[in-house]
Order: sequence, then C-alpha cells, then structure tokens
Amino acid sequence: MSKRQLAMVMDLNKCIGCQTCTVACKTQWTNRNGREYMYWNNVETYPGTGYPKNWMELGGGFDAAGDLQAGIVPNIEADYGVPWDYNHDELQFGEQLKPNIEPTWGPNWDEDEGEGNFPSDNYFFYIPRICNHCTNPGCLSACPRDAIFKREQDGVVLVDLDRCQGYRYCIAGCPYKKIYFNPKISKSEKCILCFPRVEKGLPPACAQQCVGRIRFVGFLDDEEGQVHKLVHKYKVALPLRSDYGTQPNVYYVPPTEAPPKFDAEGRVIPGSNRVPIEELEKLFGKEVHDAMKTLRAEMEKRKKTGESELMDILIAYKHQDMFRLDQEYYQGIAKQQGTSLAPIDNRYMAGKNTENKYKFKVVEYE
Amino acid sequence: MNKLTSAVAVSALIASSAFAQDAVVAQKTDRDVTKLTPTSKAWGYVKGTEIGLYPQTTVTMNDAKANALNKSQKAKKATVKAIYNDKNIAFLLEWPDGTRSVQSGYRSDAYGDGFAVQLPVNYGDPQKLPYIGMGSEGRPVVIHLQKAVQPIYEPNGKGDVGAQQNVLSKNMFGKEVGEYHEAVQKLAVSDYQRSFVSEGFRSMTEIKDGSEKFSADMEYDKKAWKGTVIRPLKDAYLNLDNGAFPVAFAAWDGARMNRDGLKLLSSWIPVKLGDEKGGDALVAELTTAPKGDVENGKNLVMQNGCMGCHYIPGMSQPGYMAPGLANIGGYSTDAYLKESMVDPNAIVVPGYNRNAHPNTPWYNVIDGKRQSTMPPYPLDDKSLDDMVAYMRTLKAEVE
Repeated sequence: MSKRQLAMVMDLNKCIGCQTCTVACKTQWTNRNGREYMYWNNVETYPGTGYPKNWMELGGGFDAAGDLQAGIVPNIEADYGVPWDYNHDELQFGEQLKPNIEPTWGPNWDEDEGEGNFPSDNYFFYIPRICNHCTNPGCLSACPRDAIFKREQDGVVLVDLDRCQGYRYCIAGCPYKKIYFNPKISKSEKCILCFPRVEKGLPPACAQQCVGRIRFVGFLDDEEGQVHKLVHKYKVALPLRSDYGTQPNVYYVPPTEAPPKFDAEGRVIPGSNRVPIEELEKLFGKEVHDAMKTLRAEMEKRKKTGESELMDILIAYKHQDMFRLDQEYYQGIAKQQGTSLAPIDNRYMAGKNTENKYKFKVVEYE
Repeated sequence: MNKLTSAVAVSALIASSAFAQDAVVAQKTDRDVTKLTPTSKAWGYVKGTEIGLYPQTTVTMNDAKANALNKSQKAKKATVKAIYNDKNIAFLLEWPDGTRSVQSGYRSDAYGDGFAVQLPVNYGDPQKLPYIGMGSEGRPVVIHLQKAVQPIYEPNGKGDVGAQQNVLSKNMFGKEVGEYHEAVQKLAVSDYQRSFVSEGFRSMTEIKDGSEKFSADMEYDKKAWKGTVIRPLKDAYLNLDNGAFPVAFAAWDGARMNRDGLKLLSSWIPVKLGDEKGGDALVAELTTAPKGDVENGKNLVMQNGCMGCHYIPGMSQPGYMAPGLANIGGYSTDAYLKESMVDPNAIVVPGYNRNAHPNTPWYNVIDGKRQSTMPPYPLDDKSLDDMVAYMRTLKAEVE
C-alpha cells in the first residue's frame, strides 16, 4: 500500500458515451509507437462485450483466499481489434471508400446495443474505464520481474520499462485487462494516470476533457476533496467489480436514473426501472443499494429544501473543486529526493546503470 | 547369473546412466572464435555432449492458456559443444523444436523461441553453486539470452527507454520531422539479445552499460534450433579460465507460449577446458551419479512429510506453499538438494511475488535476510543421500 492514494470518481448518470476522454487519452499517449491498438481509456456499452472482448471472463485478480488467479492474454485481432484506416485520399480520384484491412472486430463493435426489447424494456449505459491503480494490483503481483510498482507518493501503478521483459503475465493477472502488450518494443504498457500532468497540478487528460464533467480526481485522504466525500462521506461512489480482490481506486456513481419500462400497449409502468438491479449488483456489489438510496434521498432533499452538498458536488460546478491535485506536494517530494519533476519517473531509470553489478536488492512488496 | 539378477543389473545400469552427466569438453583452437555462427563448419569437428532440458515447474505461472499447453510437457535432449581460445569461448546448443516460432508482427499473444546460457560468478566450491533458477542471494550468475523476436523498436537506439523522445516534444516541422523519423527508424531496431546479472529470479537486471561483451545467434533447420553464445573467458563479471566451470542452459518454445519461467532448463553442466589443468573436483561433483537408495529415499520423503508443502507427483497437490518438485531431479545438483534439506536458509528461492499468494509465504524477511519457512532436516548422511537419490528421479520423461 502506498502512503497516499490518488483516485478518480466517474458519475455514470452523466456519461453520454461521446468518447472525448478516449480521444484525449489516445492523442496524448497511444496513437504511436506500437500502442495504436491500446485504449488506456475506453468507454464501453453495458451490457456488452466490452474492451477487450468479454474482459470480465478472461481471469486474473484474486480469489477469496487472496491467491492470484490465472488469466488469459487477449489477442489483438479477435479481442482488442486492429486499428484500421480509410482511403480518404483516393476518393477524389473516383475510388470507393474502403478500409485498409477487413475489420472483424474493434472496440465498441456493439456500441449502444444493450439488452432487452425495444421499446418496452431495452436499456444500456456507458462505463468509461481506465486503469484502476489498484491498492492490490493483479498486474504487479503477477510480474515475475518486479517490473511493476506502485508509487509511494500517490499510488499510481506504473511499469518500469527498463525491467519489463515483455512476459505478459501482468495482462493475465489484471482482471480489468487494462495493461497491454506493445509488440513494437516487446514490453507492457498501461495508463499512467497522466502522472506528468498530475505532478504539475493538472488532472489526467481524460478527466480534463470530459464534456459531461463526470470525472472527479483527488487524493482519497483529502477530506475536503470531492473524491473523498463521494467515496467515504456519502458512499455513493463504488469500485467496479471489487470481487476481483484488487481494491480498485477508480470509483463509479452507479446509474440510478433510468427511464421506466413500457407495457405491451406502450404505457409507462409506474415505479419500474429499466436497469436491472442485479446487473448493478454484479458491477458494484451489494453496496449499490445504499448508494442509490442515498442518491435518491439527497435528490429529494435538494428538491424540497434547495440544499444538498452531494447534489452540488455531482452537478460539478467548478473544475478547481473537482480536481484537487497538489502541485506543491509533488514539488516537495521532488525537492526532498533532489530530483526535478521531469515527465519521467525515477524508477524508469532503475537498472540503466549496472556499474554496481550485483549489488541490487529484491524489492519486497508486503 | 540367473534371469532375475541380470534383469536387476540391467535396470540398475539404465538407471545410473540416466543420472550420469558427461562433462562438455571445450576444444581449444588458435583461431578467432568470435566469428563462429550456429552453422560454422568448425562445430563439425567438436564432440558434442548430450544434456537434458527439463520443464521448469518450480512455480506455476498465472497464464491459463500457457499452463494448459505445458501441462504434460516432456523433457528434451539437447547437445552442447564448446570451442575456446586464449580469450574467448563459444558455446553451441542444439535442441529439437517442432515449430519455428518468431515473435513478430502486430500481435499481443505471440511468443518466440529462444535460449539462454547461464554462468556462475563463483564456482570455487562445487558444493555451493548458485541456485539453478537464475542464481541466489550471495551467489550471482550472468545470463546471456537470445530470443527469436522481431527487432525491437527503441527510439534512441540505446535501450534507454527512460529517455525515449516523442517527436511531438521536438521543436521540428515539415521536412525536419521526416528526417528525424528516418534517423530514428535506422537506429531504433535492435536484436532481442541481452545479458543479465541475477541473484535469484525477480532480481535479474540487464547489463546495459556495455561492460558485458557477448554475441549470440540462433538458426532453425530440420526441426531443431542451433544457438551460439560467444563471450570472453574473463571479464569484469566472471572468470571461466580455471580448468573447468559449470554452465546451464534454458530453452523456450514459443509455440507453447513459453517465456520467463515457462521453459526447459538443464542442471549445472560441467565444461572442461580441453587443454587446461584444474577443475577436477567440480567435474567429479557434477558427473557422479547419486549413490543413495531410491526406494528408501522415497520412504524417507514420505515419512518426513515433504509433500505437505512441496508438490511431488503422485503424492500431493499442496498448491502454492513451496517450490514444486516435479522436475527437481532434472535441474538440480545433489549438493543443492542436500544443502536445501540441511540448511533451507542457504538458498531461499524467492518464489512468487508475495502479493500473489500472501497466505503461503515461502520465507519471512528477518533483518533484511530471507528466512525459509521450511525447518532444517538435519538427518544422517545415509538418509540424506537416499532422499537425494530419490529426488533426482523426479523429472519428466524425455520426449
């Protein structure tokens, strides 16, 4: 466990699936150098196959006894989808628009399909997913090289690319399949929670660009912060699939407000909700009941009295309140360590100089 | 001799020959060995030594597909040759592999074949060689690795991933960007060929400062790989010029999703420098078959409850508690097995990342030193020899 933990809260009631976060992340980090197929941030339709395909069934994570479970390394073509392009340049010469490969699968192949029958009870909602920067990361535990580490100062989980040898056990070990293999450099890469931005006091690109303002970023122990309030004070933000045992640090406000179902004549069934509670329980655990109760109670309170701190937070008035990052905190650490806040973590450099030959120590993670 | 006794005598002969390991005799030459390739004619004049490569089953990795593919993996026979001159030594490993697997293309789940040569930094005491799985604390090894992987892209060409530059962070435009890309492409591809120092798995660290000069190559032909590793007899890391030294080999089968611990591994194999004196004790230690009584050893193993924590085929399935012994006879020396029973703290295999199986720690850390959770078994020499003899039978069949 790290000294402090950065966390993100995403309000699923407000996610419109516009993929602005996905594009922000892609242009910042994954549009080049072998990462083209990776989506460190993706937004998937639930119910749906997700990204990579059926990720919830690919193993990893821990069982009740705390033992790491075996998992599967997905295939780019079948499970992630190979990025393809179109011949836009050739259209002016009379060519037909065609992709450069025959696409067979890709992220959001089943976007907006959902479940149920239109118009009586069909439903879906969006789940944006990034690395959960878990307190007990499956990827870290699976790595036989100790190449994955969790930063003391903020709990961000990173791959030490210098130590990584591209074995890919991390991918099998992550139940969220949020760590990827870069075939061009033969190493694993993953969401870095935009730590070079965070250290300068800026939120991760996905959170900054979110047009629905659904993302809150801050330290879990910052009691004045909205992240702390949503997770610990009101307990309306819940981790995704916490049954995997990795203690994820991305939290979701569950989608409480769905339209009612219609009967055979197309009339509203009063009191019904299209999103089955069992599905929400599967994703967010039993705690989802209390969270929804609190959300509804606060909504009522706001309607009646005009006041509710929780509703004010979820309305997301100001970025400066939603993103509570502490540039001075990071600068203090850098000063203490005698380093500067370069966009490279010190551990990326570990092992670069091997002059002190076998004077290294095995890192112990307790 | 009646039929029964002759049958016993024959089976005893087979049993002991299955244990005995011949030394690799390195042939001396006046010529430059640094130019040797896996297919050089010179290898035809050198006598090969057969070794066994056994599935490494000390820990179970967490890749479900790979585990299924390797479930009943058999051992392989490989051939080792060595040529040396005053300065350098060249090894040739030839091992069968039904498929040529190269990790290439834009794929996340493709794995390449490969091989590695492991050399101990200290081998003065043949009873206390480093642990076969990438050395052990205080007993470092140097490992040379060559894998059949497409050239690796490293934008600054120095393997210094920390300083990789993104073109977007360069103050360049138009033609300059194109030129930059071209320059990067030229220096950005390197062979998957690496040297490491290691004191036990998970501690392996790549030597990147150029202080370890070696070259490696591998070629596939007729359902077999031939791989060469050429390195100095003496350098800053180790000195092999003492008459004889131990070496170990590993091979990975990409088609079986082999990588890291999922591999075939030899025991410590003695290499005798043909024209040099010395190293006889080491050669004797590594070529002598165990003398103990296998049956009695098996009974002792059961009586002492080894299978309570260790996986021993046919005896138990204890999970993550301790190193699996299914192939221990294939890749361990007698001295290591004995030492590990008498003094389990002498070599503590780091095992799993401690987060992976927190309820079954193989060791505790006391004053910064790993202390095995296994108690010492200070049995008499005869019992230990018998148990060692039994454990040496624990290994997969050769395919």
